[in-house]
Amino acid sequence: MTPCAVTTGFFTLGKCGQMAVAGCPACGRAVCADHLADGGMCPECAAARRQFGHPAAAAAARRRAYRHRQAQYYGDAGYYSGFDDYDRAAFEPGAAAHQDYLDDGDDALVDS
Amino acid sequence: MFWRKQKAAIAGFHPLHQALIFERGFAATHPAAEWSALAASLHRHAGLIRRSKWALPHRAIDVFLPLLAAVCEDLGPKGVLAVTADLRGIHVPAKSHPARDIPVRPPARSATETWSIDPWLRLHAGLRDGSGLDILVVDRQRLRRVTKRGSSGKTKIKRKTQLTQLIRVRRRLPRGVAGARPQVPPPAWIGVTLRDGERRSVLAAAKLPRLPQSADEQVDRILTVATETFRWTR
Ligand SMILES: [Zn+2]
Ligand SMILES: [Zn+2]
Repeated sequence: MTPCAVTTGFFTLGKCGQMAVAGCPACGRAVCADHLADGGMCPECAAARRQFGHPAAAAAARRRAYRHRQAQYYGDAGYYSGFDDYDRAAFEPGAAAHQDYLDDGDDALVDS
Repeated sequence: MFWRKQKAAIAGFHPLHQALIFERGFAATHPAAEWSALAASLHRHAGLIRRSKWALPHRAIDVFLPLLAAVCEDLGPKGVLAVTADLRGIHVPAKSHPARDIPVRPPARSATETWSIDPWLRLHAGLRDGSGLDILVVDRQRLRRVTKRGSSGKTKIKRKTQLTQLIRVRRRLPRGVAGARPQVPPPAWIGVTLRDGERRSVLAAAKLPRLPQSADEQVDRILTVATETFRWTR
């Protein structure tokens, strides 16, 4: 089984981990049936394209905006960059996407 | 019959949505799925309800909903969130303490001080990482009435109000997790205390000298205080 690699959570971050049914056409990550957003994309990629039809896309956008603000507020870049290089890449064209997300166990709840 | 359509619409709303309309608050405990049903119901309000008597209370849509969405993201499939929302505002009589006299100097003849305390939002959640999160937001108003005699001999009453806000967040760390002090200290307006026990707790509190000027700022302030408790386990 390929676990869904969509990031979930707000204060605590983790991977969804349910059985994936497709790959996101934009970034290639594995996505489960619950997380298929507009255009079959993962919520992060849908949010980066301002397609908020799926609640998880809206949640991804909120989480990203919040982490970005907090990092600036604290002058603590780690709060944003540590959050998830892979997710951030969807919003920052040119930033290299790391492929290490699949290494996380299903229950990896990282408070980045 | 008046307002027939809108009454029918309200009857179809989530019960807690109805409570917000008629009682301006509620206390309830639910898993994330039920809270998102409430959120979906609240999002339909503006399109269906015109009558001002049935308007949603201040802070329901622009403050409560974003906080609800954030916390529900961390609940996981088994966690529940308890919410006590009282959005009646600080001016309901039950929230005011009796006025008391305070000392004065001439030309003031007498003065009283009245405190009103409005704990308008309380959240308690068991998060999927095993931590327990409590958020409390309280508005506090001090009203001073000073009676003065002017040079013409006329009595004048001056009123001065001061509105402040207290945001308190407690996170009980997951069992067996000690946490570590974050390298970057919190902003000066947030105080952090650690409480050791069977499980360690991180308490973050802020006393704002004035109320946030917008809903976004309000949400941001609450989330920032909450964030502080999560920086201990990055
Ligand atoms: Zn994607
Ligand atoms: Zn998923």
